[in-house]
Amino acid sequence: MCPSAVVTPQTPTEVAEALADAAERGLGVAPVGGGTALALGNPPERLDVALSLERLTGILAYEPTDLTLSVAAGSRFADVQAVLAEHGQTLPIDVPEPERATIGGLIATALAGPRRYGLGTLRDLLIGISVAHPTGAVSKAGGMVVKNVSGFDLMRLYHGSLGTLAVIVSANFKVMPLPRFESTIQASYATLSGALAAADRVRGSRVRPAALEVAQTDGRWLLAARIEGREETVRLLARECSDLLAAEATTLDAGDSAAWWAGYIKEESLARHERGVTVRLGTVSKRLGEVLTRATELATEHELPLEAIHVSPGLGAALLKIGGEADEATVARFHQWRESLLGLTDYLTVMRAPVEFKRGIDVWGKPPATLDVMRALKQEFDPTRVLNPGRFAGGI
Amino acid sequence: MDRASIIERLERIVGPGGVFHRPADLLVYEYDGSVDGAVETARPTAVVLPTTAEQVAEVVRLAAAEGLPVVPRGAGTGLSGGAVAQSGGIIIALTRMNRILEIDREDRVALVEPGVINLELTEAVQPDGYFFAPDPSSQRACTIGGNVAENSGGPHCLKYGVTTNHILGLEVVLPDGRIVWVGGRTAGQPGYDLTGALVGSEGMLGIVTKALVRLTPLPEAVTVMLADFPDIDSASHAVSRIIGAGIIPAALEMMDNLTIQAVEPAYHAGYPMDAGAVLLIEVDGIAEDVAATAAEVRELCIEVGAREVRVASEKAERELLWKGRKMALAAMGRLAPNYYLHDTVVPRTKLPATLRRVGEIGNEFGLRIANVFHAGDGNLHPLMLFDRHKKGDVERILLASKELIKYCVEVGGSLSGEHGIGTEKRGYMTLVFTAEDLAAMAGLKNSFDPRGLFNPEKVFPKGYVCGEVRALRLQAMAQKHGIYAF
Repeated sequence: MCPSAVVTPQTPTEVAEALADAAERGLGVAPVGGGTALALGNPPERLDVALSLERLTGILAYEPTDLTLSVAAGSRFADVQAVLAEHGQTLPIDVPEPERATIGGLIATALAGPRRYGLGTLRDLLIGISVAHPTGAVSKAGGMVVKNVSGFDLMRLYHGSLGTLAVIVSANFKVMPLPRFESTIQASYATLSGALAAADRVRGSRVRPAALEVAQTDGRWLLAARIEGREETVRLLARECSDLLAAEATTLDAGDSAAWWAGYIKEESLARHERGVTVRLGTVSKRLGEVLTRATELATEHELPLEAIHVSPGLGAALLKIGGEADEATVARFHQWRESLLGLTDYLTVMRAPVEFKRGIDVWGKPPATLDVMRALKQEFDPTRVLNPGRFAGGI
Repeated sequence: MDRASIIERLERIVGPGGVFHRPADLLVYEYDGSVDGAVETARPTAVVLPTTAEQVAEVVRLAAAEGLPVVPRGAGTGLSGGAVAQSGGIIIALTRMNRILEIDREDRVALVEPGVINLELTEAVQPDGYFFAPDPSSQRACTIGGNVAENSGGPHCLKYGVTTNHILGLEVVLPDGRIVWVGGRTAGQPGYDLTGALVGSEGMLGIVTKALVRLTPLPEAVTVMLADFPDIDSASHAVSRIIGAGIIPAALEMMDNLTIQAVEPAYHAGYPMDAGAVLLIEVDGIAEDVAATAAEVRELCIEVGAREVRVASEKAERELLWKGRKMALAAMGRLAPNYYLHDTVVPRTKLPATLRRVGEIGNEFGLRIANVFHAGDGNLHPLMLFDRHKKGDVERILLASKELIKYCVEVGGSLSGEHGIGTEKRGYMTLVFTAEDLAAMAGLKNSFDPRGLFNPEKVFPKGYVCGEVRALRLQAMAQKHGIYAF
């Protein structure tokens, strides 16, 4: 689907004016940051205007000794990290395309990588936000202090709302000190259950890694634990972690560790792969092994090639990449596979797929139990359905 | 329906022992923990104490049919008037719903009813090596439901985060009387983050009937330090230095000399009586790491002028150091009959200037002000000492409060860090928020509670009836663009 116009406002007020203008004309608007998650969501009901935030860039306020940062929504993640790094600080989240992805887009999509396990997401770091509304207004919530209960917490409402309520124009964060050192411990297992059992031992220990992942590589399952902190402590915990793995373990330190994870995270990009389908599923941690085993069995049954599986054992989540062409037979087999897994999972989202795969389904899976409350929110914030109409869960 | 019939209907829902309606029984429910005189009190029509979510829902449906306001209430320890029924109506007290329903050690979550007391949850999971991280000072009395409503903090939220970071899901009764679940054990479910929107909404969007909370593993080792500074300025600089060095202690609390004068003679915590200010610094984690971090913190304190840093790693010694801090509010009785407690937050770098301004305000208004607060996150708790029975004292306190709050907002701060807005601070909301900001918040309120029956007259400034805000917003939109949404 292609918009007939692209607007590139320069200020928050211009964003709001563009939205109000679209509302007046009954147009559909898709806010666009770095364009790395355009594949996410249902095809919108209407797409007339692409609202690019690319000119809303820059650090608005940064006080390193307060560990607080305010940044315009169109700022690229890598640019923001570079400024923070000069002061030994960071936003500790994993972004597959840091040179392209924008702060606003990261908040709107709520995409989070492996370190969500130990360090949380932007949801936990957001302390303030400004958004533009289809009424033509710009409003804010929160502030520039790290602890604040003044007024409703709209930061968390906008986080993950995929640009369907308002357009984020800037955001304030509490930032974190860069870890002084990091190591990654890896071990390979013949079976998924062997790798998950090892992951369970790590989860139950004092190691408390920032990230703990299991991934399928060359028919085997690789466990990777990322440990961050003071160097002596990291080295001590790395040894303890190795002892827990009951397999031959290798350790990557400092830059080698960071580089390995950058590669791993890049594989989770929704922007890079021209073919195939990326699916994310979730269940309670203790059922994850069972669900994934069933998912792989069913994939074999339906002749769907599973090209990559990234498992987050502590989060009860996994990212699966399915290869194959977008021909009618493959699409039908994929839909059958998805259908039989919906009942076994708490959610199953088609994160990226050629449009042929998206037809006739809600890519977000089962509608949320509170869909009517969510619709009421949409009605309040965007009554004429200007913003990404139909793209979000339950066709919001 | 007349009052007697309503009470009869309520008794039919929860049983005869579960409804209070005689004036003497209602008296205690006219107040919460906030200062008498700073927050208006009001009498509810009745107080109902349900034992199940279904009963809560039935009460809500009855109130909706009668157009009566509904005010949820936990232990009543709130400090901003949030649990007072400003427009009358029915108070739903959730204290009888106080069961811990499930502790899941493997997934590190607990499912609790809203009336479970904060500290009791921690005590229940401690033997398994866990705790519930939010630890407001009232944790011996306050309830999890109240913590959710206020998004409560506490000394340890510096490292562990506030309530919203520990709530995974909620069962709530909506204003139309339906019982729904938001969030859950599996993170990352599609749709809006209704859990995030509900936490801190001060009982204005829904009534929590179950909470699924995260349990945090107890740290392996804990060290508490007491750093003695000649003045508040050097103590404030130490705070910035520690945080700036990339160290996030588990807690970082400050007490000024006036607080020490109240606390030390009463509790003998070992605070130096001649200190200008002390910092109570707790670091935790794995044993090997804690020792190294504590040494670093000690160095930083000495560098910026600490006269002495006492280090306590044994439990009894640590608890003694904490005792002074935890009992500080109780000890104020030694200095004055009453105190008014503020909760503003300023950027950490503005602490020295703000504390100087607090001192000036004390002088200007002839008030003694003690400072005992969460320095690590810039959350001030100035205690304005007064005597409620002395003519003019309450008025002076309120005028001084206004000055203080205005200053904190001017330096980029916020009205409240953890106590909530309630009725107490609603009048100050326009210092921080524009009409457009409030309209967006009203949008959230309206989507849950279009009739405005859940905890009315809270958070929004007087005159900001949400329905009206919404009408004005739509009207403005219609005029500007010639469109009609409805």
